Amino acid sequence: MNLRLHIWRQAGPNDTGMLKTYDVANVSEHMSFLEMLDVLNEDLIAKGEIPVAFDHDCREGICGTCGMVINGRPHGPVARTTACQLHMRTFKDGDEIYIEPWRAKAFPVLRDLVVDRGSFDRIIQTGGFVSVNTGNAQDGNAIPISKPDADRAMDAAACIGCGACVAACPNSSAMLFTAAKVGHLASLPQGQAERSSRAMNMVLQMDAEGFGSCTNHYECEAACPKGISAEFIAQMNRDFISTTFGGKA
Amino acid sequence: MELNTGIPSGPIQQRWDKHRADLKLVNPANKRKFTVIVVGTGLAGASSAATLAELGYNVHAFTYHDSARRAHSIAAQGGINAAKNYQNDGDSVWRLFYDTVKGGDFRARESNVYRLAQVSVNIIDQCVAQGVPFAREYGGYLSNRSFGGAQVSRTFYAKGQTGQQLLLGAYQALMRQVGLGKVKLHNKQEMMDLIVVDGRARGIVTRDMVTGAVRSHMADAVILATGGYGNVFYLSTNAKACNVTATYRAHKRGALFANPCYTQIHPTCIPQSGDYQSKLTLMSESLRNDGRIWVPKNKGDQRSPDQIPESDRDYYLERKYPSFGNLSPRDIASRAAKEVCDEGRGVGPGGLGVYLDFSDSIRRLGEKAIADRYGNLFEMYERITGENPYKVPMRIYPAVHYTMGGLWVDYNLMSNVPGLFVLGEANFSDHGANRLGASALMQGLADGYFVIPYTIGGYFAQGGLAGVSSDSSEAQAAVKEAEQKISTLLSIGGKRSPTSFHRELGKIMWDKCGMARNEAGLKEALTRIPELREEFWQNLVVPGSGAELNQSLELGLRVADFLEFAELMCYDALQRNESCGGHFREEYQTEDGEAKRNDDDYCYVAAWEHTGVGKTPTLHKESLSFENVQLATRSYK
Amino acid sequence: MKAFGDIWRSNLFQKWLMAVSGLLLVLFLLGHLSGNLLVFLGREQINEYAHGLRTMGHGMIIWVVRLGLLSFFVLHVTSAITLARRNRAARPAKYHRVESRASTLASRTMLYSGLLLLSYVLYHLAHFTWGAVHSEYYAQACPPSAGCVDCIPDVYSMIVSSFQQPLISITYLLSMIMVGLHLNHAIASAVQTLGVTNRRIVPVMRILGPGLSIIIALGFSSVPLAIILGFVKI
Repeated sequence: MNLRLHIWRQAGPNDTGMLKTYDVANVSEHMSFLEMLDVLNEDLIAKGEIPVAFDHDCREGICGTCGMVINGRPHGPVARTTACQLHMRTFKDGDEIYIEPWRAKAFPVLRDLVVDRGSFDRIIQTGGFVSVNTGNAQDGNAIPISKPDADRAMDAAACIGCGACVAACPNSSAMLFTAAKVGHLASLPQGQAERSSRAMNMVLQMDAEGFGSCTNHYECEAACPKGISAEFIAQMNRDFISTTFGGKA
Repeated sequence: MELNTGIPSGPIQQRWDKHRADLKLVNPANKRKFTVIVVGTGLAGASSAATLAELGYNVHAFTYHDSARRAHSIAAQGGINAAKNYQNDGDSVWRLFYDTVKGGDFRARESNVYRLAQVSVNIIDQCVAQGVPFAREYGGYLSNRSFGGAQVSRTFYAKGQTGQQLLLGAYQALMRQVGLGKVKLHNKQEMMDLIVVDGRARGIVTRDMVTGAVRSHMADAVILATGGYGNVFYLSTNAKACNVTATYRAHKRGALFANPCYTQIHPTCIPQSGDYQSKLTLMSESLRNDGRIWVPKNKGDQRSPDQIPESDRDYYLERKYPSFGNLSPRDIASRAAKEVCDEGRGVGPGGLGVYLDFSDSIRRLGEKAIADRYGNLFEMYERITGENPYKVPMRIYPAVHYTMGGLWVDYNLMSNVPGLFVLGEANFSDHGANRLGASALMQGLADGYFVIPYTIGGYFAQGGLAGVSSDSSEAQAAVKEAEQKISTLLSIGGKRSPTSFHRELGKIMWDKCGMARNEAGLKEALTRIPELREEFWQNLVVPGSGAELNQSLELGLRVADFLEFAELMCYDALQRNESCGGHFREEYQTEDGEAKRNDDDYCYVAAWEHTGVGKTPTLHKESLSFENVQLATRSYK
Repeated sequence: MKAFGDIWRSNLFQKWLMAVSGLLLVLFLLGHLSGNLLVFLGREQINEYAHGLRTMGHGMIIWVVRLGLLSFFVLHVTSAITLARRNRAARPAKYHRVESRASTLASRTMLYSGLLLLSYVLYHLAHFTWGAVHSEYYAQACPPSAGCVDCIPDVYSMIVSSFQQPLISITYLLSMIMVGLHLNHAIASAVQTLGVTNRRIVPVMRILGPGLSIIIALGFSSVPLAIILGFVKI
């Protein structure tokens, strides 16, 4: 199939950037979306042009590195699928495809489709962990954890930190990302000791990074390639408020 | 060169305890006077960086990713082994040790493997305490599954995302230390070289992947936890950025590279669909529990699989290995698939594929039961191939998955360059010639959480570390060399992209040094690789400049190292005149085509010394002694 | 422990303020609506009711309620504006193409429907409470300002004669559509913000919220509609 791509090109963090149009021919339906971009880049190199920079690594939907807004949707049109797992059979001959980077103040564009997601790391640094030094642990079976609790923790922990939630949110809010970590650790007995301070600190760091607030559109939930539920956001809201009025943290 | 393994004496069960008691300690107040560089933030890197910071050392952690959470450890699906014996099924430290040595086809170091089995139990405890959501039974206790190469159920798992969850546990521990100011995290920094001062590893050279700045970082010790080199084959199940640069640069600075020819080929991957293919995707080995593997009996049979009657099908694994059948170990299943495809009986585009057929199981158990077991895998398969595996048999083909070889290390995980420690897949130490499933995660975390924190202290306590700075001539020379290399690469101005060279190199390696190797092929590779390298330096084109985010340049630098490293692999494969584990030499097989080991002549670790690009490397041998496990031939008939 | 000032300024606390004040305003609306519907029972009932409100607790209660309403309203509006400004700032560069998957017209237009409601409320107060606009109808209610201290005001006439004017009725009906639109997202959203995760309650609220918004909007609209269609007369 032949496609027309409109890709955001921006030479560096301080460049203004613009959409540029590229035609790619003979795209196989078996290609992944990123392989289609690989082919475009090889063409660009052959023509002496600068290839499109985009983030990617594992190409099997788990590392969370890839991320681009494809036709107005983070990771593209297929639900619960990262850009690297999106295949060209989703598109048809003659399609025009808009490809843009994640857009958020807290995710500055470094080049083309590559953004800096260091803000996510800094949120985790303020509390997204259990403070246990190596060697402190008791036997893994010492505290039974009910299967529903363990499963719920796993549902939240499945977050790959790709930032699609931020990209999809009209307010560039990081609530789903943050709530997934808060919810993961709040579902387990190991996470209880620091539950209050964790919710408080991570929420305040989100603001400090310049993410917007949640207006409950649930675009994040719909865009999340791992299908993380917005229920975790409600839980974080509750932990935050009860910490505020409990005078803790 | 004398290879001093530093293995403690005494009964194997007591060696690690004895060694820990013998190691000198660093006073808690003095730990903050030592700085450690950790390169890589996968399981081994993140766990060691976090643990060393907890102990009080100053740590600088480096990753080429934008976040420390993205290393390829994250993609491990199956699980992590530990000798907990929670199932009461006869597991023990000894049995895990035994299985690992045997699974490694008797080419691993016994003492290291025993220690690995010992600390495996602590890993699970530590991870649970960190909040890793391992699967649980209804009673609230940890759940286990069985895995290849073992007769007990000792694999802990978190859905199909065990690697992800363990990595996030280590990442969170690391982030905590970053928040506390004990670890300085350097994102988007690629290691370009190792700095050796007075014979000791004292720093690294990095390139900032956003600004392009090349600079040195100095320390008292350097830890490399930079993963494996499977991407030398271009197509592998590794992440795209995985590369050999860090370990290969260290090798060029004097560190010995051990057993580079040991590569693991995973039998159940989704086959290549075209020339544009950028990587291969693994399908969990567990599929072989209910799927039957077959190809048409006749060459060139173009019928669709449902049109091929039973009588025209060859269930070759069931035929050749009646007792293990479709559950034969990874190396055996992979080679058998290659064999039938070489005979021209492969299926799918290019004839590189075999069927993994679930129709019998669906008929026997119902579609729902199969969906319960493998639903997410079937979904993933359909997403990639567009075929519905409930209706059409899956097509699978082996792919490079893991590399057992790596930098040579002693019992302390220190290379022959003092102060250079190597952890995880980047070292060679624990898996011999073949790694068992669910053991990679175990090794990465054992090294990082429970081995290096002790052994690095022993190194520091020995003293003799003078002050060092970025102004030292060695550091400045290394920076200059790296800058020089970058500008050379940018100025070639040829016609071919780094990817095209990488792809061509991968093809040579896969054909000549892949699942099966022979002397003629390896020799051919040893002439073709230098030619290709020559062309690379004449005809490469890297657009853009060095002072910006430039992914072509990153790739070019990595491919340049692969082009030198590939030769080393072939030398190693050529000298090892036997077949063992992941290394199958066609000349050395039994009459019925099984691997034939040669314990009399090759029961050693091949540790290679760099002598110059394009020059034959020097082989050093560390002989392996098996005092606790009897050398025996593996049989799966 | 974090300073309360830092917490107060945080997005999440501002959101919580908006949710709590919003829900209290919804409660007020329900009370207001039940009062309005007395129109259908006749002149006496609604006039008695209005009189009761004014004189309850020696005329003190109504002031307490008004003060409360005013503060909820101010909190609701200021937090909304604060958050909206921050949300804009959080996305300095816009997408060329956006396809929404989960948001609704109501959720995307909360700020606009809210601002329109703010102007509507001012108009509504000027009309029925202050008598600053349409004062000819306001005078019919015999407000205290008209020197009628103990008499029962004729709220009924004021309402009916006002809504007999098509322009006033249409303004009110359009505003009620705005109320419905705003609440359509607001109620369930506030429940989420308060942190209700109960898996039996959440799905109910996602239906109940929009349902209640329709009931409230229709309830309020029924009065001008009935008057303009002539079912309720002077």
